[in-house]
Amino acid sequence: MAHEDSFPEGLVAVDRTAGAVRLELDDTLYPLEALYGAAYTFIDRCWVLLDRPQAGRLRATLAPKAGAGDDGAALHALAGEFANELLSCAWRHQIAQQNRAIIEQVTAQAVAGAMGPPSLDDLAKFEFSGEALEDPLGIAVSWEEKYRDKKAEPKAKDAK
Amino acid sequence: MTELRFHRGLYAGLAVEEAVKLFAPHATLRVREEPDHWVVEVEGGARERRVAGELGNYALGLTVKHGNAR
Repeated sequence: MAHEDSFPEGLVAVDRTAGAVRLELDDTLYPLEALYGAAYTFIDRCWVLLDRPQAGRLRATLAPKAGAGDDGAALHALAGEFANELLSCAWRHQIAQQNRAIIEQVTAQAVAGAMGPPSLDDLAKFEFSGEALEDPLGIAVSWEEKYRDKKAEPKAKDAK
Repeated sequence: MTELRFHRGLYAGLAVEEAVKLFAPHATLRVREEPDHWVVEVEGGARERRVAGELGNYALGLTVKHGNAR
């Protein structure tokens, strides 16, 4: 398969005279943070320029510092590497977003643990109105329910 | 002459400004503003391509370092 055929149409454009390759991206597929991440990893070997040619589209232009000349295959390979890095960054960004709440909770617990036991003032300010624990399946049993006087209940029914 | 177009939604203005200051001794730089872009014109003879490229990388690096374009 030719290098030109290895990308979807319109995604990659090679400018052999400028020694640069241009990728056009859909910003609904690749968040800006992923583009920054991928671009940042390439600035040691390429000159990278980002642009937004129109709403909903992002453009990354890569020009190898060493100079690829008119080597179209090398520029296409560079575009492929960038696309892979971009996908990796987008995936990591999504995982970070999904796990943000857990990371914040674990960090807060670690910080709270490092601060030592709460003082009497902290305990006095503690908010008890929240739910004690989450029970999405409804299997938790309260202390009152577990240890209630079961013998007294039939009598109450009989009294009716 | 090489023209660098830094989109306002992608690059931090301070990053572009700082990059221009840093590379000013190495080439003739002219900055102009457009509605969506900061445009930097670079004239530097044999080093023009390199100066323009490194200026763009520096602006991008600072933008990423500062978190985003705002």
